[in-house]
Amino acid sequence: MSINLAIAVATTLILMMLALITNIKNKKLQLSYSIFWLIAGVILVIVLLIPNCLNVITKFLGFEIPSNMIFFITIVMEFYLILQLMITLSKESKRNISLIQEVSMLKKKVEEIEKNK
Amino acid sequence: MKVLLIIPAYNEEANILNTCNKIKEFSDEIDFVVINDGSKDNTEKILQENNLNHICLIENLGIGGAVQTGYKYAFENNYDIAIQFDGDGQHDVTYVPNICEPIINGQADMVIGSRYLDKKESKFQSTFMRRLGSNIISFLLRTCAKTKVTDPTSGFRAANKEIIKVFAKTYPTDYPEPESIVNIRNLNFRVMEVPVSMNEREGRSIFN
Repeated sequence: MSINLAIAVATTLILMMLALITNIKNKKLQLSYSIFWLIAGVILVIVLLIPNCLNVITKFLGFEIPSNMIFFITIVMEFYLILQLMITLSKESKRNISLIQEVSMLKKKVEEIEKNK
Repeated sequence: MKVLLIIPAYNEEANILNTCNKIKEFSDEIDFVVINDGSKDNTEKILQENNLNHICLIENLGIGGAVQTGYKYAFENNYDIAIQFDGDGQHDVTYVPNICEPIINGQADMVIGSRYLDKKESKFQSTFMRRLGSNIISFLLRTCAKTKVTDPTSGFRAANKEIIKVFAKTYPTDYPEPESIVNIRNLNFRVMEVPVSMNEREGRSIFN
């Protein structure tokens, strides 16, 4: 790994971790959702420290070159992540609908009671 | 038999009063509840001023969420039959007894008012594209859900107590009319169609 590449990867890693930590601290991101990114960060650290591990894994899995492997793994992980997000979103929107319905029905009841006072 | 008409309304200031008056004229034994789906016009004002039974959703939910609110209301208030009825003058209240009959006789759990079942019955047959879409959905329902429904997107439908309970709990949001038929069939309920007449909507369609 050239020194330039190492610096680029290290910078990316530091920015990623900074963004992650700030968001967890500000309570914008739930800890359970950050675990995925923390693991990704750890993998990047390993790659940074032992660059040769990429070549070994690439050969072992049968890819031609490391970049192919990285793209493949990234796309698969991203697919999984988006699927999870959509599942969460569907669940939340269902809850949200239910909440709006219940509040609206309660509001009607309260208004009726106040009218009959 | 306690019968409730669920009338979803979104920006229906032009038609809603007319629709409700027609229902009152037809029979005072039929209750109705208008679900105002976060209308931006004067629908809410009209409903309040005329003392029409209604629920105002605090946010716009779309047709699925609005109709489900009606089923929840029907469930809470122990209605025997709940009928979905459009607020824009498309549906004819005189067909309410026809659509209830199979449920009262115990022939079906859900009854759908179809404008295609008996071509002579309905003046309004809708556009070619709409009919094409309906035919495709009909075909899918016939092959996948083993249900013969000629007008799967019809919003004029009656449900018995058990189905009210099911719909109050889960009701699809994206394409509720055909999807709910599949859900009901998967639970082995009986679905039936009766011919009804539909008018061209009085207000402008929300799709235009």
